[in-house]
Amino acid sequence: MARVGVFVCFCGANIADFVDVPTVVEEAKKIREVKFAVDYKYMCSDPGQQMIRDAIVQYRLTSIVVAACSPRMHEKTFRKALSDAGMNPYLLEVANIREHSSWVHQKDKKAATDKAGDLVRMAVAKSIANEQLHEISVPVTKRALVIGGGIAGIQAALDIADARIPVTLVERSPSIGGRMAQLDETFPTLDCSQCILTPKMVDVASHPFIELIPYSEVIELDGYVGNYKAKIRKKASYVNFKSCTGCGACWQKCPVKVPNEYNMGIDTRKAIYTPFPQAVPNKPVIDAKHCTMLLKGKCGICAKFCEKGAIDFKMTDEVIEREIGAVVVATGYDLWDATPYEEYGVGRYKDIINSLEFERMVSANGPTGGLPVRPSDGKVPKTVVFIKCVGSRDKAKGIEFCSKICCMYTAKHAILLHHKVHDSRAYIFYMDIRAAGKGYEEFVNRAQVETGAVYLRGRVSKIYQKGEKLMVRGEDGQLGQEVEVEADLVVLATAIIPDKENPALARLLGISYDKYGYLSEAHPKLRPVETAKAGIFLAGCTQAPKDIPETVAQASACAAKVCGLFAGDTIKKDPMVSTVNKDFCSGCQNCVKVCPYQAIVTEDIPLGHGAKEMRTVAKINEGVCQGCGSCVAICRSMAINLAGFTDPQIINEIVAI
Amino acid sequence: MKKVTYFPGCSAHGTSEEFDQTVKMVMKTLDVEMEEIPDWNCCGATSAHTMNESLAYALPLRNLVLAEKLSNDTMTVPCASCYQRMKFTKIHMDENPELARKINTAVVGEGQYQGRVAVKSMLQYCYEDVGIEAIKTKVTSPISGMKIACYYGCLLTRPKAITQFDSPEYPMSMDRIVEALGAKAMPFDFKTECCGASFSISDTDVVLQLSGKILEMAKESGAHAIVVACPLCQSNLDMRQPDIEKKFKVRYDLPIFYLTQLMAMAFGYPKDKMMFSKHIVPVDGALAHIGEVIEEPKKPAKGKKAVKAESEVE
Repeated sequence: MARVGVFVCFCGANIADFVDVPTVVEEAKKIREVKFAVDYKYMCSDPGQQMIRDAIVQYRLTSIVVAACSPRMHEKTFRKALSDAGMNPYLLEVANIREHSSWVHQKDKKAATDKAGDLVRMAVAKSIANEQLHEISVPVTKRALVIGGGIAGIQAALDIADARIPVTLVERSPSIGGRMAQLDETFPTLDCSQCILTPKMVDVASHPFIELIPYSEVIELDGYVGNYKAKIRKKASYVNFKSCTGCGACWQKCPVKVPNEYNMGIDTRKAIYTPFPQAVPNKPVIDAKHCTMLLKGKCGICAKFCEKGAIDFKMTDEVIEREIGAVVVATGYDLWDATPYEEYGVGRYKDIINSLEFERMVSANGPTGGLPVRPSDGKVPKTVVFIKCVGSRDKAKGIEFCSKICCMYTAKHAILLHHKVHDSRAYIFYMDIRAAGKGYEEFVNRAQVETGAVYLRGRVSKIYQKGEKLMVRGEDGQLGQEVEVEADLVVLATAIIPDKENPALARLLGISYDKYGYLSEAHPKLRPVETAKAGIFLAGCTQAPKDIPETVAQASACAAKVCGLFAGDTIKKDPMVSTVNKDFCSGCQNCVKVCPYQAIVTEDIPLGHGAKEMRTVAKINEGVCQGCGSCVAICRSMAINLAGFTDPQIINEIVAI
Repeated sequence: MKKVTYFPGCSAHGTSEEFDQTVKMVMKTLDVEMEEIPDWNCCGATSAHTMNESLAYALPLRNLVLAEKLSNDTMTVPCASCYQRMKFTKIHMDENPELARKINTAVVGEGQYQGRVAVKSMLQYCYEDVGIEAIKTKVTSPISGMKIACYYGCLLTRPKAITQFDSPEYPMSMDRIVEALGAKAMPFDFKTECCGASFSISDTDVVLQLSGKILEMAKESGAHAIVVACPLCQSNLDMRQPDIEKKFKVRYDLPIFYLTQLMAMAFGYPKDKMMFSKHIVPVDGALAHIGEVIEEPKKPAKGKKAVKAESEVE
């Protein structure tokens, strides 16, 4: 005879305000198998868990039902409480009376209470058919794959490698460094970005536990947590890195000029190039889209001047494979294209630039030697207008979210402008100043007091040209009047958007992304670095806009997660997996077709005892199986069983209502 | 020969008669037959929609229902205000059949609204249905030498959800047509700025300031004239110009043409058919530029090259 314990949670007011919890307990007590039922304000807290542990012992319970929030939230917590009391953790059932009842039926307490009672009855009935299950152990490949070599990827790779775990770092461009390598100085301390980043880049290249694969992309990921297999396409660089010394003769002689991505197109690079002098690795690659030798078969000057004979025009893309146990995704951000702001004349006026272009100009290794200039005539600007929230917080033309870092970097730009052009003045149009962070508010104050930057609270409605000047017309909301600023240069703090390849990458990795293309974390508060897929983690702006300190913190958190995952020789996995009853299997292989995880293969077994004839049946790899149940539903001969969701369990649930 | 339904609106039979006349001339040349809606009524602009929502819908709806009795599938409207009311009503009726049924009861004697006829401004019709290439082929006496600032005003392309045509902030359709006629369309930042028409009577000072700014920027662009496709824009910029000049002590001398006047000229119609005598600002000065050769300024070493030059020095 089953002896079930029922524990109903108030969840503070979340459940209790809309579900009459004591009534649910009374209803539960009416069920024949329920030997104990109780409510508590926070069942997940230690006193709550203690109630469960005590009742298991005192009432010799055989299964437990917790009526509370979603099992995604606290199933693990309550399973552990069962284990602690010496009970098999899989004898737990969670009745989700919060998301499935109290939150969605807030207008009708009676109906919500009735529904909660039904959910409890179903869970009790199911739990009676629960079986003891045991975690599955799967081996782990102790190597991490980091995708993206910006500061997030660099930090994650270094932290993992410092724990003596091998890391493969894949970077799409010819050098690691990412956006941070393009920055001049960083808020709120104004330390030079290059000075704090380039040593880390060198550390990556020289670390014995890091394998750096630049100019490459991940094109396939198979397997499951602890046992992934990645295919990486190394793009043809047409330069043999082993013999190349990085002397630079090739790019000095190359006659083809291409807009320089590193300098946001302000100047040009050659068709054979390193992105910037401090690049890691400091070896050039040939840009096949622009090289005349590769396009038309004429030129080859770089090869003539290369003393080492390192140029190889016949090189082709190469696909390599790595076996890995975990993945850190750190693909970074891009700037939103402000063209929809037609009233600003974006695209029509050369002297309207975006913040990264300004950053390159004021950067010591930038195309103008650290001096901001007007792209139209090369003159040094005296009056610069900065416009914040261009595309951010703008549902109509741009994106709904706040890009988070623009308030701070615009304050930084005002200071840098003042440092470079002493008799200049910055005007900053803003909606709100969001300066939450250590030393951030002080930094904005510094921009206002030290440099005399004029902060104007209001939106800019129009920019038009008058002579050489750009007239910026906007609102000064604090004075309640229209203002017009005669500007030499206008800098737009455009919204931060995720890398455009993110959706494709997410599909390739089997993880989810939001409507903007940001990769989704497993839980916004409690699992901010994990994805919903075990063993895949997120660092930096690929998940949401964030500044450098936050990015580095998240990258280190990823490293801690990876190290935790690799701490043992095996990892534990939920036993909710499918198994095939070979006697019933007809070998139709429909299950093989529907399995989204490629977890089902076929095997040949003798037709009968001692028979020579063979027949084909399905076989499920329990390491790969995620317990989705697709195979169970498609199986015509009812040969597949999903542990934790067996036919008797499901039928019990249905009968209970 | 194309056929199109024509809704002239009240101003075409009054203050903007020259618009009406030249529209008819231009359409004839472009092989478009215009069929005026019999017994059309006021579109309700400027007063109905500020007073009574149902009335604001019912007035244009009657015209739309009458237009459906003709066999044409497009209706074209020269006045930007009329166009705005017609299109606004059409979109709201099409999106909300329940509302359409309700409003229809007010004009039930005329028939049931079906939403069959497309509504386009004269500019949109010329640009989309006739096309730049077709316009070019009809040009016999190009108006080359004239520098033109195209002024669209606030209603021709806005709000985008209603007009669904060209850019709401920096439209180019009129500029392209003007270029097709041989003239030079000047880059003009104030092409969609407010001229203050709503305050024309009640607070004329506002009009003088706003329209004054438009004239100033047009002059600054180097234009000889402004071209418009709306009777209200025309009357504000033309009629108020002497007052503006007096108030700000400047001299603009910018005649305000209707787009169709310039088209008719380029199509070879004689000048005396354009009814230029109805204009306040004399047009002859601007027209005298026809035939002049516009010298393109030599491109100075500008832009990214200039930036680079500086970096090389350093």
